[in-house]
Amino acid sequence: MSLVDLFLGALLLLTGFLAVRLKNAVHAALALAANFILVGVVYFLLEARFLGWIQIIVYAGAIMVLFVFVIMLLYAARAEVGADPLPGLKPLAAAVGVVGFLALAYAFAGVKAPLAAKAASAALSGGTAEALGPVIWQTWLYAVLLVAALLLVATVAAVTILRPGEGGRR
Amino acid sequence: MNPFYLLVSAALFALGAYGVLARRSAILVFMSVELMLNAAGLALVAFARAWGSLEAQAVVLLLIALAAAEVAVGLALVVAIYRTRETTLVDDLSELKG
Repeated sequence: MSLVDLFLGALLLLTGFLAVRLKNAVHAALALAANFILVGVVYFLLEARFLGWIQIIVYAGAIMVLFVFVIMLLYAARAEVGADPLPGLKPLAAAVGVVGFLALAYAFAGVKAPLAAKAASAALSGGTAEALGPVIWQTWLYAVLLVAALLLVATVAAVTILRPGEGGRR
Repeated sequence: MNPFYLLVSAALFALGAYGVLARRSAILVFMSVELMLNAAGLALVAFARAWGSLEAQAVVLLLIALAAAEVAVGLALVVAIYRTRETTLVDDLSELKG
Protein backbone atom coordinates (compact mmCIF):
# COMPACT_ATOMS: atom_id res chain seq x y z
CA MET A 1 0.00 0.00 0.00
CA SER A 2 1.58 3.20 -1.16
CA LEU A 3 0.87 6.85 -0.54
CA VAL A 4 -1.02 7.02 -3.86
CA ASP A 5 -3.33 4.22 -2.69
CA LEU A 6 -4.03 6.01 0.59
CA PHE A 7 -4.71 9.28 -1.19
CA LEU A 8 -7.06 7.65 -3.73
CA GLY A 9 -8.86 5.70 -1.00
CA ALA A 10 -9.42 8.86 1.05
CA LEU A 11 -10.73 10.70 -2.02
CA LEU A 12 -13.03 7.76 -2.86
CA LEU A 13 -14.51 7.78 0.64
CA LEU A 14 -14.85 11.58 0.64
CA THR A 15 -16.67 11.70 -2.73
CA GLY A 16 -18.83 8.71 -1.74
CA PHE A 17 -19.77 10.41 1.51
CA LEU A 18 -20.61 13.65 -0.31
CA ALA A 19 -22.70 11.70 -2.85
CA VAL A 20 -24.97 10.35 -0.11
CA ARG A 21 -25.02 13.48 2.07
CA LEU A 22 -25.20 16.57 -0.17
CA LYS A 23 -28.66 18.14 -0.20
CA ASN A 24 -28.67 19.42 -3.77
CA ALA A 25 -29.15 16.54 -6.22
CA VAL A 26 -26.89 18.06 -8.89
CA HIS A 27 -24.05 18.46 -6.36
CA ALA A 28 -24.56 14.85 -5.25
CA ALA A 29 -24.47 13.73 -8.89
CA LEU A 30 -21.19 15.60 -9.44
CA ALA A 31 -19.68 13.98 -6.32
CA LEU A 32 -20.81 10.59 -7.65
CA ALA A 33 -19.25 11.32 -11.06
CA ALA A 34 -15.97 12.17 -9.31
CA ASN A 35 -16.27 8.91 -7.37
CA PHE A 36 -16.75 6.93 -10.61
CA ILE A 37 -13.74 8.59 -12.26
CA LEU A 38 -11.61 7.82 -9.19
CA VAL A 39 -12.75 4.18 -9.33
CA GLY A 40 -11.62 4.16 -12.98
CA VAL A 41 -8.21 5.45 -11.85
CA VAL A 42 -8.02 2.69 -9.23
CA TYR A 43 -8.83 0.16 -11.99
CA PHE A 44 -5.77 1.40 -13.91
CA LEU A 45 -3.65 0.88 -10.78
CA LEU A 46 -5.06 -2.64 -10.29
CA GLU A 47 -3.99 -3.80 -13.77
CA ALA A 48 -7.44 -3.45 -15.33
CA ARG A 49 -6.73 -0.88 -18.03
CA PHE A 50 -9.58 -1.77 -20.39
CA LEU A 51 -12.09 -1.70 -17.52
CA GLY A 52 -10.68 1.65 -16.39
CA TRP A 53 -11.58 3.22 -19.72
CA ILE A 54 -14.97 1.48 -19.84
CA GLN A 55 -15.66 2.70 -16.29
CA ILE A 56 -14.90 6.30 -17.24
CA ILE A 57 -16.79 6.18 -20.56
CA VAL A 58 -19.90 4.25 -19.48
CA TYR A 59 -20.24 5.04 -15.76
CA ALA A 60 -18.80 8.54 -15.44
CA GLY A 61 -19.97 9.43 -18.93
CA ALA A 62 -23.20 7.82 -20.08
CA ILE A 63 -24.82 6.87 -16.76
CA MET A 64 -24.06 10.15 -14.98
CA VAL A 65 -25.30 12.18 -17.96
CA LEU A 66 -28.55 10.20 -17.76
CA PHE A 67 -28.85 11.00 -14.04
CA VAL A 68 -28.14 14.72 -14.47
CA PHE A 69 -30.55 14.82 -17.42
CA VAL A 70 -33.40 13.32 -15.36
CA ILE A 71 -32.64 15.59 -12.38
CA MET A 72 -32.91 18.61 -14.68
CA LEU A 73 -36.00 17.25 -16.47
CA LEU A 74 -37.94 16.74 -13.23
CA TYR A 75 -36.69 19.88 -11.42
CA ALA A 76 -35.58 17.46 -8.69
CA ALA A 77 -32.41 19.34 -7.75
CA ARG A 78 -33.91 21.46 -4.99
CA ALA A 79 -32.68 20.80 -1.48
CA GLU A 80 -35.94 21.42 0.44
CA VAL A 81 -38.32 18.47 0.23
CA GLY A 82 -40.70 19.21 3.10
CA ALA A 83 -41.04 17.69 6.55
CA ASP A 84 -39.43 14.31 7.15
CA PRO A 85 -42.13 11.72 8.05
CA LEU A 86 -39.50 9.39 9.54
CA PRO A 87 -37.09 11.61 11.52
CA GLY A 88 -35.48 8.67 13.33
CA LEU A 89 -34.48 6.89 10.13
CA LYS A 90 -31.13 8.56 9.48
CA PRO A 91 -29.31 7.33 12.63
CA LEU A 92 -30.80 3.88 12.02
CA ALA A 93 -29.57 3.94 8.41
CA ALA A 94 -26.12 5.02 9.63
CA ALA A 95 -26.12 2.12 12.12
CA VAL A 96 -27.04 -0.30 9.32
CA GLY A 97 -24.20 1.12 7.23
CA VAL A 98 -21.65 0.76 10.06
CA VAL A 99 -22.76 -2.82 10.80
CA GLY A 100 -22.59 -3.66 7.09
CA PHE A 101 -19.09 -2.22 6.82
CA LEU A 102 -17.88 -4.12 9.89
CA ALA A 103 -19.34 -7.38 8.56
CA LEU A 104 -17.71 -6.92 5.14
CA ALA A 105 -14.39 -5.86 6.68
CA TYR A 106 -14.47 -8.95 8.91
CA ALA A 107 -15.14 -11.14 5.87
CA PHE A 108 -12.34 -9.51 3.85
CA ALA A 109 -9.86 -9.68 6.73
CA GLY A 110 -9.65 -13.47 6.38
CA VAL A 111 -8.85 -13.35 2.66
CA LYS A 112 -5.42 -14.67 1.74
CA ALA A 113 -4.15 -14.24 -1.82
CA PRO A 114 -2.77 -17.44 -3.36
CA LEU A 115 -0.15 -15.65 -5.47
CA ALA A 116 2.58 -13.15 -4.80
CA ALA A 117 1.70 -9.67 -6.02
CA LYS A 118 4.30 -9.83 -8.80
CA ALA A 119 3.11 -13.18 -10.23
CA ALA A 120 -0.53 -12.06 -10.13
CA SER A 121 0.39 -8.83 -11.90
CA ALA A 122 2.16 -10.77 -14.67
CA ALA A 123 -0.81 -13.13 -15.11
CA LEU A 124 -3.14 -10.18 -15.77
CA SER A 125 -0.92 -8.78 -18.56
CA GLY A 126 -2.18 -5.29 -17.80
CA GLY A 127 -5.86 -6.15 -18.21
CA THR A 128 -5.83 -4.71 -21.73
CA ALA A 129 -8.59 -5.39 -24.26
CA GLU A 130 -6.25 -7.87 -25.94
CA ALA A 131 -5.87 -9.88 -22.73
CA LEU A 132 -9.53 -9.60 -21.71
CA GLY A 133 -10.99 -10.41 -25.14
CA PRO A 134 -10.46 -14.20 -25.13
CA VAL A 135 -11.93 -14.48 -21.62
CA ILE A 136 -15.04 -12.52 -22.58
CA TRP A 137 -15.62 -14.17 -25.96
CA GLN A 138 -14.86 -17.73 -24.86
CA THR A 139 -15.47 -18.39 -21.17
CA TRP A 140 -18.18 -15.77 -20.70
CA LEU A 141 -19.70 -15.83 -24.19
CA TYR A 142 -23.19 -16.92 -23.12
CA ALA A 143 -23.24 -14.40 -20.29
CA VAL A 144 -22.32 -11.67 -22.79
CA LEU A 145 -25.17 -12.78 -25.08
CA LEU A 146 -27.61 -12.77 -22.16
CA VAL A 147 -26.51 -9.30 -21.08
CA ALA A 148 -26.85 -8.10 -24.68
CA ALA A 149 -30.42 -9.42 -24.80
CA LEU A 150 -31.09 -7.80 -21.41
CA LEU A 151 -29.82 -4.43 -22.66
CA LEU A 152 -32.15 -4.67 -25.65
CA VAL A 153 -35.10 -5.56 -23.41
CA ALA A 154 -34.22 -2.69 -21.05
CA THR A 155 -34.14 -0.23 -23.95
CA VAL A 156 -37.52 -1.40 -25.23
CA ALA A 157 -38.92 -1.33 -21.67
CA ALA A 158 -37.71 2.22 -21.08
CA VAL A 159 -39.33 3.39 -24.31
CA THR A 160 -42.58 1.50 -23.57
CA ILE A 161 -42.85 2.82 -20.01
CA LEU A 162 -42.55 6.41 -21.24
CA ARG A 163 -44.76 6.04 -24.30
CA PRO A 164 -47.33 8.82 -24.33
CA GLY A 165 -50.98 8.05 -24.99
CA GLU A 166 -53.14 5.35 -23.48
CA GLY A 167 -53.75 5.11 -19.73
CA GLY A 168 -52.95 7.41 -16.83
CA ARG A 169 -53.00 11.17 -16.59
CA ARG A 170 -50.49 12.49 -19.09
CA MET B 1 -2.61 -9.12 -1.68
CA ASN B 2 -3.80 -5.62 -1.30
CA PRO B 3 -6.71 -5.70 1.14
CA PHE B 4 -6.75 -1.92 1.26
CA TYR B 5 -9.02 -1.56 -1.77
CA LEU B 6 -11.26 -4.33 -0.44
CA LEU B 7 -11.78 -2.24 2.71
CA VAL B 8 -12.42 0.86 0.60
CA SER B 9 -15.00 -1.04 -1.43
CA ALA B 10 -16.66 -2.28 1.78
CA ALA B 11 -16.85 1.31 3.03
CA LEU B 12 -18.29 2.53 -0.28
CA PHE B 13 -20.87 -0.27 -0.18
CA ALA B 14 -21.85 0.72 3.38
CA LEU B 15 -22.11 4.38 2.34
CA GLY B 16 -24.38 3.33 -0.53
CA ALA B 17 -26.55 1.26 1.82
CA TYR B 18 -26.86 4.29 4.12
CA GLY B 19 -27.85 6.43 1.13
CA VAL B 20 -30.50 3.95 -0.03
CA LEU B 21 -32.09 3.98 3.45
CA ALA B 22 -31.72 7.68 4.27
CA ARG B 23 -32.32 9.43 0.95
CA ARG B 24 -35.86 10.62 0.26
CA SER B 25 -35.79 11.38 -3.46
CA ALA B 26 -36.08 8.32 -5.74
CA ILE B 27 -33.31 9.67 -8.01
CA LEU B 28 -30.89 9.99 -5.07
CA VAL B 29 -31.83 6.48 -3.87
CA PHE B 30 -30.89 5.30 -7.35
CA MET B 31 -27.56 7.09 -7.19
CA SER B 32 -26.83 5.31 -3.91
CA VAL B 33 -27.63 1.97 -5.56
CA GLU B 34 -25.11 2.85 -8.27
CA LEU B 35 -22.54 3.54 -5.56
CA MET B 36 -23.15 0.04 -4.12
CA LEU B 37 -22.87 -1.61 -7.56
CA ASN B 38 -19.65 0.26 -8.18
CA ALA B 39 -18.25 -0.88 -4.83
CA ALA B 40 -18.95 -4.48 -5.87
CA GLY B 41 -17.04 -3.88 -9.11
CA LEU B 42 -14.11 -2.41 -7.20
CA ALA B 43 -14.01 -5.47 -4.93
CA LEU B 44 -14.04 -7.80 -7.96
CA VAL B 45 -11.16 -5.95 -9.63
CA ALA B 46 -9.19 -6.02 -6.36
CA PHE B 47 -9.77 -9.79 -6.16
CA ALA B 48 -8.72 -10.19 -9.81
CA ARG B 49 -5.50 -8.34 -8.99
CA ALA B 50 -4.85 -10.62 -6.00
CA TRP B 51 -5.64 -13.89 -7.79
CA GLY B 52 -4.04 -12.97 -11.09
CA SER B 53 -7.19 -14.03 -12.94
CA LEU B 54 -8.97 -12.11 -15.69
CA GLU B 55 -12.33 -13.83 -15.05
CA ALA B 56 -13.37 -11.30 -12.42
CA GLN B 57 -12.54 -8.47 -14.80
CA ALA B 58 -14.85 -10.02 -17.41
CA VAL B 59 -17.60 -10.12 -14.77
CA VAL B 60 -17.06 -6.42 -14.02
CA LEU B 61 -17.52 -5.65 -17.71
CA LEU B 62 -20.88 -7.45 -17.61
CA LEU B 63 -21.70 -5.65 -14.36
CA ILE B 64 -21.18 -2.26 -16.02
CA ALA B 65 -23.52 -3.28 -18.88
CA LEU B 66 -26.10 -4.45 -16.32
CA ALA B 67 -25.82 -1.14 -14.47
CA ALA B 68 -26.52 0.72 -17.71
CA ALA B 69 -29.65 -1.38 -18.32
CA GLU B 70 -30.78 -0.91 -14.72
CA VAL B 71 -30.38 2.86 -14.90
CA ALA B 72 -32.31 3.07 -18.18
CA VAL B 73 -35.33 1.19 -16.76
CA GLY B 74 -35.11 2.80 -13.31
CA LEU B 75 -34.97 6.37 -14.52
CA ALA B 76 -37.79 5.65 -17.01
CA LEU B 77 -39.87 4.46 -14.03
CA VAL B 78 -38.99 7.62 -12.05
CA VAL B 79 -40.04 9.82 -14.98
CA ALA B 80 -43.26 7.81 -15.50
CA ILE B 81 -44.14 8.11 -11.79
CA TYR B 82 -43.39 11.83 -11.88
CA ARG B 83 -45.81 12.22 -14.78
CA THR B 84 -48.73 10.70 -12.87
CA ARG B 85 -47.92 11.66 -9.25
CA GLU B 86 -45.83 14.82 -9.77
CA THR B 87 -43.35 13.77 -7.11
CA THR B 88 -40.06 11.92 -6.88
CA LEU B 89 -40.15 11.52 -3.10
CA VAL B 90 -40.29 7.89 -2.02
CA ASP B 91 -42.34 8.92 1.07
CA ASP B 92 -45.21 9.96 -1.20
CA LEU B 93 -45.20 6.67 -3.09
CA SER B 94 -46.65 4.46 -0.37
CA GLU B 95 -49.67 3.30 -2.40
CA LEU B 96 -49.58 0.69 -5.13
CA LYS B 97 -52.75 2.03 -6.74
CA GLY B 98 -51.87 4.21 -9.71
